[in-house]
Amino acid sequence: MRLSEFIEYEANERAERRRLAAKKSYEILDRLEGVDDQFADVADDGAFGSVSPSIFVGRAGYPEVSTGLLSPVGNEADAAQFATSGEWYTEGVSIGDVFERRTSLLNASQSTPVETNVHDAWNGFLGVQREVAIADRPVGVEVGLDGTPELDVGLSPGDVSTPTGPRARANEATLTENPHVPRPVEKTLEDDDWAATGAMNYLYGRGFDVYEINTILSAGALGQQDNRRLVPTRWSITAVDDTIGQFLRGKQRSAPSVDTVQVFHNEYLGNSFWMILAPGQWEFELVEFKAPGSVWNPDPEAGIWLASDYEGKSGRTSYVDQTAGAYYAARLAVLEHLDAIGRQAKALVLRHVSDEYWGPVGVWQVREAIRHAFDGERGESETFDAAIRGIVDRLPVSMAQLRRQSTLAAGRQSGLDAFL
Amino acid sequence: MFKAIVSADTLTDALDSVSVLVDECKIRLNEEEFSIRAVDPANVGMVDLSLDAAAFESYEADGGVIGVNLGRLQDIAGMANSGDLIRFELDEETRKLHIGIDGLSYTLALIDPDSIRQEPDIPELDLPAQIVLEGNQLDRGITAADMVSDHISLRVDEGSEAFYIEAEGDTDDVDLELTSEDLIDLTAGPADSLFSLDYLKDMNKAIPKATEVTVDLGEEFPVKLHYEFAEGLGHVTYMLAPRIQSE
Repeated sequence: MRLSEFIEYEANERAERRRLAAKKSYEILDRLEGVDDQFADVADDGAFGSVSPSIFVGRAGYPEVSTGLLSPVGNEADAAQFATSGEWYTEGVSIGDVFERRTSLLNASQSTPVETNVHDAWNGFLGVQREVAIADRPVGVEVGLDGTPELDVGLSPGDVSTPTGPRARANEATLTENPHVPRPVEKTLEDDDWAATGAMNYLYGRGFDVYEINTILSAGALGQQDNRRLVPTRWSITAVDDTIGQFLRGKQRSAPSVDTVQVFHNEYLGNSFWMILAPGQWEFELVEFKAPGSVWNPDPEAGIWLASDYEGKSGRTSYVDQTAGAYYAARLAVLEHLDAIGRQAKALVLRHVSDEYWGPVGVWQVREAIRHAFDGERGESETFDAAIRGIVDRLPVSMAQLRRQSTLAAGRQSGLDAFL
Repeated sequence: MFKAIVSADTLTDALDSVSVLVDECKIRLNEEEFSIRAVDPANVGMVDLSLDAAAFESYEADGGVIGVNLGRLQDIAGMANSGDLIRFELDEETRKLHIGIDGLSYTLALIDPDSIRQEPDIPELDLPAQIVLEGNQLDRGITAADMVSDHISLRVDEGSEAFYIEAEGDTDDVDLELTSEDLIDLTAGPADSLFSLDYLKDMNKAIPKATEVTVDLGEEFPVKLHYEFAEGLGHVTYMLAPRIQSE
């Protein structure tokens, strides 16, 4: 006997998906079109041949990390589109698409102590994994599995992270082709006297996007010899956003300031972003408004959830408290725009997460939405204050609430030279 | 030429007031006084310090300028016990400063003054309100505000003749009211400005708690904090640029 037999109620599809996501239930995939059980064949004989566009280093169990080869078994022809990249935005993938792509990647993994120095790991499973990481296109692999793939969507309210595909322990892996490695990546790989930050900045300067750099960092394929370690994927993403961000910030230290207050906007995957750039020395703040019913604030009865982090002219000395990786992704996107126009600015990013954001897709979504906002239309405002007032009408908070939460909304730092 | 003897306490008070803003500074060794003026790299906070020759046990100088690493100098001064005397003698040839503390001698390499940030011009400010209070009253307001926010508002209410230290955090508020009776002195005027607590906290650290602090305040204008040390022979003025709400 079920309650629904007595009470009429409207099933809420979003709420149901959220419930399944919170339960880490793989049933969530039944609610996404086009996800089949494509791993059934793999499970039978324990070995498969496929291609691998990327790797994954899991942080669960740290300091033991799980290090895995990702393969879109059965979809080899389109392997490249399964690796997270900025192209997902231009393609216009939906949240469902992200879940589908992520969960279509079989993660053949082994567990490795994180202190393992991978400087010279060219053999065995770690070697294959590293070759995949440094290659600029999917690499053919043959993998032997020990056991059947286990499904784990990997969502829980306390630790919201993007879904990963089924995982299986790998016995062995071999390459079935010679991977193609771009010249600059070979250079950073071979120079084991080159500190990781410098090597990352070099690759970025040579046109590699943060997605490629973080895979290489994650495999421990750059940096000084003694420091080459596996880096959990989630941490490496933030490390690269932060490193490249600081590099761009350094270039702008003496740049002239923007001369007007400008407002940019973009919407993507249930997230709305407003960026205000204003004249003056660098300050940056990300303020997030998470609607009840969105992934981090699942209780529909809860109020709006506010979070913010800030840095002044001299930058941050500690990891952010409230906004995690989104802060560094947003800051990078803003700094890239300022770098392109050769200016510095005070920058406030407001992110409204609506209840349409039912599943976490990863910080690439923040990075790309903001990057593309700067290509779009801009508004101009007389003052910073007027710009904020204009935006507040579209946010679920009052001006007073925003002022309490946001350092920049409360007041922008002036310099003594303004009073000479 | 520079040759001086000073008590460790006086020297430490002087250095602490500057090191909260900068790591390196120029010291002007004038005939009548020893002085430092420095601004932080973001041009937000400034310090102007002078120590009269009379504050030293002995003092001889002829107007030279030296550049020092403040952290290094503080470490050396830290080797002295309270009440100890510290001797300085500048070697013009080698551009090194010889420092002696009770049998210990230290030779400090100086920094080329030209390589240190230029000393700032001091803005001429006509600030309408003046508050005179004890260092510990200011400290109480700043410490409480820091529990809820990263910025602080300093305000004078002309009607009620009172000075307010206020902070609004994400959820909590702090409000310290000091009426003209609580204060040593108050000249009321239109004054309401917001400041970064990062800076104000650092400045507050250097202000002796038992001392009298004079606060000059305006509307969205820099604040001036003035106090004396070394029995009135040392003077410090801080100036801090506000966080602006209206523009």
